[in-house]
Amino acid sequence: MTILDDVRKSVIEGDLNGTQDKVNQALADKTPPESILKDGLISAMSEVGRMFENGEFYVPEMLISARAMKGGLAILRPLLASANIKPIGKVIIGTVQGDLHDIGKNLVGMMLVGAGFEVIDLGVDVSPEKYVAAVLEHHPDLVCCSALLTTTMPRMKDIVQALRAANLREAVKVMIGGAPVTEQYAVEAGADAFAPDAASAAQRAKQLLSN
Amino acid sequence: MNKRDVIYTVLNGQTPAYIPWSCGFTKEAKAKLEEHFKPLDLEEALQNHILKLGSDIGFFTDLGQEHVQDVFGVVWDRSIDKDIGNVSGCVLPEPTLRHYSFPDPLDQRFFADIPERIERYGERFRVFQIGFSLYERAWTLRGMQNLLMDFYDHPDFVQDLLETIADYNNAQIQEAMKYDIDAVYFGDDWGQQHGLQMGPRLWHQFIYPVLKRMYAVVHGAGKYVFIHSCGDVDELFDDLIGIGLNCFNPFQPEVMDVVSLMERYRGRLTFHGGLSTQRTLPFGTVEDVRMETQHLLKMGAPGGYIIAPAHDVEGDVPMENMLAFIELLQNQPGFRENLEEKLHDNFG
Repeated sequence: MTILDDVRKSVIEGDLNGTQDKVNQALADKTPPESILKDGLISAMSEVGRMFENGEFYVPEMLISARAMKGGLAILRPLLASANIKPIGKVIIGTVQGDLHDIGKNLVGMMLVGAGFEVIDLGVDVSPEKYVAAVLEHHPDLVCCSALLTTTMPRMKDIVQALRAANLREAVKVMIGGAPVTEQYAVEAGADAFAPDAASAAQRAKQLLSN
Repeated sequence: MNKRDVIYTVLNGQTPAYIPWSCGFTKEAKAKLEEHFKPLDLEEALQNHILKLGSDIGFFTDLGQEHVQDVFGVVWDRSIDKDIGNVSGCVLPEPTLRHYSFPDPLDQRFFADIPERIERYGERFRVFQIGFSLYERAWTLRGMQNLLMDFYDHPDFVQDLLETIADYNNAQIQEAMKYDIDAVYFGDDWGQQHGLQMGPRLWHQFIYPVLKRMYAVVHGAGKYVFIHSCGDVDELFDDLIGIGLNCFNPFQPEVMDVVSLMERYRGRLTFHGGLSTQRTLPFGTVEDVRMETQHLLKMGAPGGYIIAPAHDVEGDVPMENMLAFIELLQNQPGFRENLEEKLHDNFG
């Protein structure tokens, strides 16, 4: 087994200390940071996503794997920055106005980080105006909106409209999700994509940005 | 036959004269209905068959600025969700109960109005509610993400916490058994839109043994066990029946195939709920609501079913959609005849 296999295994097992040890070991072995990121951390989180979709992993396993991945990423981040290795895209994420539920949104954020994205989390109860301001400030590639309730789901349409009114709609892709949200609603709301869960959100985000 | 008898009929696997119902509404939806039905009292107007006793979500101290604190010390932000709220802060920041004391399970506020409510609505099936009955109580105290990771990081703490919650509940159930009640209605959401939050392995390891202990107390007193558990949890039905579950709610049509489950479990498990609150009620037409309600009434005709929206109806549901299903429930021939007979007895 190579050291990168060890990194992968530690992340999949949700072993934070093990992941950090293996990342440090890989660096000591002169493995390029970019390779540790892609073939270690990102590859592991892709496997975690696959296992989640297959019903082998659930939220607890995803959380501890994401924590291990983040622990490894914290070591790599300064090295990646100095080597000018950029994330594969920038994402703004939030739970829509009137909704305070955040675990689904947090899981999507974790899986996006695990897929190599830079994620800016606007938190919960995020108004369309805040989304627009964040797009102007951060210039993301993708805007993600989460809602758990039928009563707050219509805010997603408002966000798309606000982006349109600010002439920003063409500059970003919009992906939506949450318990009551459907593919059909995504079309009605004028979003570019719908994701039914955190694992597929990371996959859809990659597809959207490669189009 | 009164409403209580009709619920007994469906719980015992027999065919009722009509499908009984018990529908819940959020504050916003309730206010609209009260306005519509006034001066008639809403409880009278709805003719629900289940009388809810105790308190599903507990009692709260107002902290001002739309924040309240429950008897466990958990602070809830009600600025947006006016009915329950969202947990603010964390009562158990560390994975230990060493510095925490549980509240008094025999707090009289849970029991004080039971005799009066039974006196007033005695013809209904009486349930004592235990809301946030296990996993939910644990995560409201510890934080959801913390608790989900604690299953791996601190399994002994999770077990200790769940057992202590069960001790609290069991003390309350035993007190409730002193009154003439019919069932205990637990409430504990385990599901997501697809599958369980914690997965079946952790559910069986941590949740199942504690449920078994709580259900045994209820059955030991000869009462029925009901549970409300949101999300896609039908993979647990056989295990739950095995430890004595009698009735499952909310029976959400968006996450489970209600028709095939009804067929598969009829005679072994009664279902309460079934009417779509994520799609049909808020977004469908009156005709959509009527069609779905009629379809459910037909499905439940042989028994084993208590019809209701699959969640307390939210404020975004149009008034005409609420009235459409209420009217269909109350116009069931068996119910109308029963009601007319009673009116005749009273005034004839």
